[in-house]
Amino acid sequence: MFFVRMKFAWRILDLIVAGIFIYAGALKALDPLRFANDIDNYKILPWAIGVRLAFYLPWLEIFCGVALIARRLYLGGVSILAALTSVFIIAAIAAKVRGLDITCGCFGHASKNWSFTAHLALDLLLLGALLFLLRVFSNQRRTCSF
Amino acid sequence: MKSLLLRQALVLVALALVPAIGQAIYYRDRVSWQTPIPASELVTVAQARSWGESAIWVDARQDEEFARDHVPGAILLNEDRWNDLLPQFLAAWSPEKKVVVYCSAQSCNAAREVAKRLRDEAQLKNVFVLEGGWEAWIKTKQ
Repeated sequence: MFFVRMKFAWRILDLIVAGIFIYAGALKALDPLRFANDIDNYKILPWAIGVRLAFYLPWLEIFCGVALIARRLYLGGVSILAALTSVFIIAAIAAKVRGLDITCGCFGHASKNWSFTAHLALDLLLLGALLFLLRVFSNQRRTCSF
Repeated sequence: MKSLLLRQALVLVALALVPAIGQAIYYRDRVSWQTPIPASELVTVAQARSWGESAIWVDARQDEEFARDHVPGAILLNEDRWNDLLPQFLAAWSPEKKVVVYCSAQSCNAAREVAKRLRDEAQLKNVFVLEGGWEAWIKTKQ
Protein backbone atom coordinates (compact mmCIF):
# COMPACT_ATOMS: atom_id res chain seq x y z
CA MET A 1 0.00 0.00 0.00
CA PHE A 2 2.85 2.32 0.90
CA PHE A 3 4.47 1.83 -2.53
CA VAL A 4 1.20 2.45 -4.31
CA ARG A 5 0.82 5.72 -2.41
CA MET A 6 4.40 6.68 -3.16
CA LYS A 7 3.90 5.98 -6.85
CA PHE A 8 0.72 8.04 -6.83
CA ALA A 9 2.49 10.94 -5.09
CA TRP A 10 5.36 10.71 -7.59
CA ARG A 11 2.90 10.85 -10.50
CA ILE A 12 1.12 13.86 -9.01
CA LEU A 13 4.44 15.67 -8.53
CA ASP A 14 5.34 14.79 -12.12
CA LEU A 15 2.13 16.35 -13.38
CA ILE A 16 2.51 19.50 -11.28
CA VAL A 17 6.12 20.10 -12.34
CA ALA A 18 5.37 19.28 -15.97
CA GLY A 19 2.31 21.55 -15.92
CA ILE A 20 4.34 24.47 -14.56
CA PHE A 21 6.98 24.11 -17.26
CA ILE A 22 4.48 23.65 -20.08
CA TYR A 23 2.55 26.72 -18.90
CA ALA A 24 5.74 28.78 -18.55
CA GLY A 25 7.03 27.59 -21.92
CA ALA A 26 3.74 28.29 -23.69
CA LEU A 27 3.56 31.84 -22.30
CA LYS A 28 7.06 32.57 -23.57
CA ALA A 29 6.55 30.82 -26.90
CA LEU A 30 3.54 33.09 -27.47
CA ASP A 31 5.69 36.19 -27.10
CA PRO A 32 9.31 35.36 -27.96
CA LEU A 33 10.25 39.02 -28.42
CA ARG A 34 9.33 39.88 -24.87
CA PHE A 35 11.27 36.87 -23.66
CA ALA A 36 14.26 37.99 -25.76
CA ASN A 37 14.14 41.33 -23.94
CA ASP A 38 13.93 39.52 -20.60
CA ILE A 39 17.01 37.44 -21.45
CA ASP A 40 18.80 40.57 -22.61
CA ASN A 41 18.09 42.26 -19.28
CA TYR A 42 20.36 39.79 -17.53
CA LYS A 43 23.29 41.23 -19.51
CA ILE A 44 24.99 37.85 -19.66
CA LEU A 45 24.59 36.99 -23.32
CA PRO A 46 24.88 39.15 -26.42
CA TRP A 47 21.50 40.00 -27.95
CA ALA A 48 22.21 37.91 -31.05
CA ILE A 49 22.44 34.76 -28.92
CA GLY A 50 19.72 35.76 -26.45
CA VAL A 51 17.12 36.34 -29.15
CA ARG A 52 17.81 32.92 -30.67
CA LEU A 53 17.53 31.30 -27.25
CA ALA A 54 14.23 33.12 -26.75
CA PHE A 55 12.82 31.20 -29.69
CA TYR A 56 14.31 27.90 -28.57
CA LEU A 57 14.10 27.61 -24.76
CA PRO A 58 10.28 27.84 -24.46
CA TRP A 59 9.89 24.87 -26.82
CA LEU A 60 12.53 22.93 -24.94
CA GLU A 61 10.59 23.53 -21.71
CA ILE A 62 7.35 22.43 -23.37
CA PHE A 63 8.86 19.24 -24.82
CA CYS A 64 10.52 18.34 -21.52
CA GLY A 65 7.22 18.95 -19.70
CA VAL A 66 5.41 16.69 -22.16
CA ALA A 67 8.14 14.05 -21.68
CA LEU A 68 7.41 14.08 -17.95
CA ILE A 69 3.69 13.62 -18.48
CA ALA A 70 4.04 10.98 -21.20
CA ARG A 71 6.86 9.20 -19.35
CA ARG A 72 8.78 8.99 -22.59
CA LEU A 73 12.35 10.38 -22.59
CA TYR A 74 11.67 10.95 -18.89
CA LEU A 75 15.25 10.97 -17.66
CA GLY A 76 16.35 13.38 -20.37
CA GLY A 77 13.39 15.68 -19.68
CA VAL A 78 13.92 15.88 -15.93
CA SER A 79 17.67 16.41 -16.36
CA ILE A 80 17.27 19.20 -18.90
CA LEU A 81 14.67 20.96 -16.75
CA ALA A 82 16.90 20.67 -13.68
CA ALA A 83 19.83 22.09 -15.65
CA LEU A 84 17.72 24.96 -17.04
CA THR A 85 16.37 25.82 -13.59
CA SER A 86 19.88 25.76 -12.08
CA VAL A 87 21.20 28.06 -14.81
CA PHE A 88 18.30 30.43 -14.25
CA ILE A 89 18.85 30.53 -10.48
CA ILE A 90 22.54 31.36 -10.98
CA ALA A 91 21.71 34.01 -13.59
CA ALA A 92 19.06 35.60 -11.37
CA ILE A 93 21.40 35.76 -8.38
CA ALA A 94 24.21 37.15 -10.55
CA ALA A 95 21.86 39.84 -11.89
CA LYS A 96 20.73 40.74 -8.38
CA VAL A 97 24.32 40.98 -7.16
CA ARG A 98 25.15 43.30 -10.07
CA GLY A 99 22.14 45.43 -9.12
CA LEU A 100 20.30 44.95 -12.41
CA ASP A 101 16.67 46.03 -12.55
CA ILE A 102 15.31 42.90 -14.23
CA THR A 103 12.06 41.16 -14.98
CA CYS A 104 12.70 37.43 -14.83
CA GLY A 105 10.57 36.42 -17.76
CA CYS A 106 10.03 32.95 -16.35
CA PHE A 107 6.29 33.15 -16.88
CA GLY A 108 6.26 35.69 -19.66
CA HIS A 109 4.31 38.83 -18.93
CA ALA A 110 2.49 37.15 -16.02
CA SER A 111 5.57 37.28 -13.79
CA LYS A 112 6.74 40.80 -14.48
CA ASN A 113 5.65 42.13 -11.10
CA TRP A 114 6.99 39.27 -9.02
CA SER A 115 9.67 40.09 -6.50
CA PHE A 116 13.14 38.60 -6.73
CA THR A 117 12.45 36.54 -3.59
CA ALA A 118 9.28 35.08 -5.10
CA HIS A 119 11.16 34.12 -8.28
CA LEU A 120 13.97 32.55 -6.35
CA ALA A 121 11.64 30.66 -4.00
CA LEU A 122 9.66 29.17 -6.88
CA ASP A 123 12.81 28.21 -8.77
CA LEU A 124 14.40 26.58 -5.74
CA LEU A 125 11.17 24.70 -5.11
CA LEU A 126 11.09 23.52 -8.73
CA LEU A 127 14.73 22.49 -8.61
CA GLY A 128 14.10 20.56 -5.41
CA ALA A 129 11.13 18.78 -7.00
CA LEU A 130 13.13 17.95 -10.16
CA LEU A 131 16.04 16.56 -8.15
CA PHE A 132 13.58 14.48 -6.13
CA LEU A 133 12.00 13.11 -9.31
CA LEU A 134 15.44 12.30 -10.68
CA ARG A 135 16.33 10.45 -7.50
CA VAL A 136 13.07 8.49 -7.40
CA PHE A 137 13.52 7.55 -11.07
CA SER A 138 17.09 6.31 -10.61
CA ASN A 139 16.13 4.39 -7.44
CA GLN A 140 13.30 2.73 -9.30
CA ARG A 141 15.58 1.76 -12.19
CA ARG A 142 18.12 0.34 -9.74
CA THR A 143 15.38 -1.70 -8.00
CA CYS A 144 14.05 -2.95 -11.34
CA SER A 145 17.49 -4.00 -12.56
CA PHE A 146 17.97 -6.36 -9.57
CA MET B 1 22.25 5.42 -17.08
CA LYS B 2 24.52 8.24 -18.28
CA SER B 3 24.28 7.18 -21.92
CA LEU B 4 20.49 6.86 -21.59
CA LEU B 5 20.33 10.37 -20.13
CA LEU B 6 22.50 11.77 -22.89
CA ARG B 7 20.55 10.02 -25.63
CA GLN B 8 17.19 11.18 -24.30
CA ALA B 9 18.42 14.73 -23.73
CA LEU B 10 19.74 14.90 -27.29
CA VAL B 11 16.42 13.71 -28.69
CA LEU B 12 14.54 16.39 -26.71
CA VAL B 13 17.04 19.09 -27.71
CA ALA B 14 16.60 18.12 -31.36
CA LEU B 15 12.79 17.89 -31.13
CA ALA B 16 12.53 21.38 -29.63
CA LEU B 17 14.56 22.78 -32.52
CA VAL B 18 11.79 21.98 -35.01
CA PRO B 19 9.05 24.36 -33.77
CA ALA B 20 11.69 26.90 -32.70
CA ILE B 21 13.10 27.14 -36.22
CA GLY B 22 9.59 27.28 -37.65
CA GLN B 23 8.66 30.13 -35.33
CA ALA B 24 11.90 31.98 -36.03
CA ILE B 25 11.17 31.78 -39.76
CA TYR B 26 7.66 33.10 -39.13
CA TYR B 27 9.08 36.04 -37.13
CA ARG B 28 12.13 36.64 -39.35
CA ASP B 29 11.06 40.09 -40.54
CA ARG B 30 9.75 41.26 -37.18
CA VAL B 31 12.84 40.59 -35.10
CA SER B 32 16.01 42.55 -34.84
CA TRP B 33 18.44 39.61 -34.83
CA GLN B 34 21.62 41.58 -34.12
CA THR B 35 20.70 44.43 -31.76
CA PRO B 36 17.90 44.68 -29.17
CA ILE B 37 16.42 47.97 -30.32
CA PRO B 38 17.01 49.24 -33.83
CA ALA B 39 19.41 52.19 -33.69
CA SER B 40 16.76 54.29 -35.43
CA GLU B 41 14.51 53.91 -32.37
CA LEU B 42 17.16 54.85 -29.81
CA VAL B 43 18.02 58.39 -28.84
CA THR B 44 20.81 59.72 -26.65
CA VAL B 45 20.21 62.23 -23.86
CA ALA B 46 22.04 64.94 -25.82
CA GLN B 47 19.95 64.36 -28.95
CA ALA B 48 16.68 64.26 -27.03
CA ARG B 49 17.59 67.46 -25.17
CA SER B 50 18.37 69.18 -28.44
CA TRP B 51 14.76 68.60 -29.53
CA GLY B 52 13.67 71.00 -26.77
CA GLU B 53 9.97 71.73 -26.70
CA SER B 54 9.24 69.43 -29.62
CA ALA B 55 9.87 66.38 -27.45
CA ILE B 56 7.53 64.80 -24.92
CA TRP B 57 9.32 62.86 -22.21
CA VAL B 58 7.58 59.74 -20.98
CA ASP B 59 8.59 58.12 -17.70
CA ALA B 60 7.89 54.38 -17.89
CA ARG B 61 9.04 53.61 -14.35
CA GLN B 62 6.86 52.77 -11.36
CA ASP B 63 4.78 55.54 -9.73
CA GLU B 64 7.01 55.77 -6.64
CA GLU B 65 10.17 56.20 -8.72
CA PHE B 66 8.47 58.91 -10.76
CA ALA B 67 7.32 60.63 -7.56
CA ARG B 68 10.89 60.59 -6.22
CA ASP B 69 12.34 62.36 -9.24
CA HIS B 70 11.89 62.56 -12.99
CA VAL B 71 12.93 64.47 -16.09
CA PRO B 72 11.35 67.95 -15.86
CA GLY B 73 8.04 67.97 -17.69
CA ALA B 74 7.98 64.17 -18.11
CA ILE B 75 4.63 62.40 -18.14
CA LEU B 76 4.15 59.22 -16.18
CA LEU B 77 3.04 56.29 -18.36
CA ASN B 78 3.78 52.79 -17.16
CA GLU B 79 2.32 49.41 -18.05
CA ASP B 80 0.82 48.81 -14.62
CA ARG B 81 -1.59 51.73 -14.96
CA TRP B 82 -1.61 51.99 -18.73
CA ASN B 83 -5.33 52.61 -19.11
CA ASP B 84 -5.42 55.25 -16.36
CA LEU B 85 -2.36 57.13 -17.55
CA LEU B 86 -2.72 56.99 -21.32
CA PRO B 87 -5.40 59.74 -21.60
CA GLN B 88 -3.17 62.16 -19.70
CA PHE B 89 -0.34 61.43 -22.13
CA LEU B 90 -2.54 61.74 -25.21
CA ALA B 91 -3.79 65.12 -23.97
CA ALA B 92 -0.21 66.42 -24.00
CA TRP B 93 0.74 64.73 -27.28
CA SER B 94 0.50 66.28 -30.72
CA PRO B 95 1.49 64.71 -34.07
CA GLU B 96 4.53 66.93 -34.64
CA LYS B 97 6.05 66.02 -31.28
CA LYS B 98 8.69 63.36 -30.72
CA VAL B 99 8.14 60.97 -27.84
CA VAL B 100 11.13 59.99 -25.68
CA VAL B 101 10.46 57.07 -23.35
CA TYR B 102 12.79 56.19 -20.51
CA CYS B 103 13.00 53.77 -17.60
CA SER B 104 15.53 53.37 -14.82
CA ALA B 105 18.60 52.18 -16.73
CA GLN B 106 19.89 50.58 -19.88
CA SER B 107 19.03 47.17 -18.44
CA CYS B 108 15.35 47.84 -17.75
CA ASN B 109 12.62 46.70 -20.04
CA ALA B 110 9.79 49.09 -19.29
CA ALA B 111 10.76 51.82 -21.78
CA ARG B 112 10.93 49.35 -24.67
CA GLU B 113 7.54 47.92 -23.74
CA VAL B 114 5.87 51.31 -23.38
CA ALA B 115 7.43 52.54 -26.64
CA LYS B 116 6.24 49.39 -28.38
CA ARG B 117 2.70 49.82 -27.07
CA LEU B 118 2.63 53.47 -28.08
CA ARG B 119 3.63 52.47 -31.61
CA ASP B 120 1.40 49.39 -31.87
CA GLU B 121 -1.67 50.31 -29.84
CA ALA B 122 -1.76 54.11 -29.98
CA GLN B 123 -0.39 54.08 -33.57
CA LEU B 124 2.12 56.82 -32.79
CA LYS B 125 5.15 57.53 -34.91
CA ASN B 126 8.37 59.17 -33.74
CA VAL B 127 8.57 57.18 -30.53
CA PHE B 128 12.12 56.76 -29.21
CA VAL B 129 13.73 54.95 -26.29
CA LEU B 130 16.26 56.92 -24.26
CA GLU B 131 19.63 55.19 -24.37
CA GLY B 132 20.80 54.49 -20.81
CA GLY B 133 17.48 55.59 -19.29
CA TRP B 134 17.19 57.65 -16.14
CA GLU B 135 20.78 56.76 -15.13
CA ALA B 136 22.10 58.37 -18.30
CA TRP B 137 19.98 61.45 -17.68
CA ILE B 138 21.33 61.80 -14.14
CA LYS B 139 24.91 61.41 -15.39
CA THR B 140 24.52 64.24 -17.89
CA LYS B 141 23.12 66.46 -15.15
CA GLN B 142 26.22 66.00 -12.98
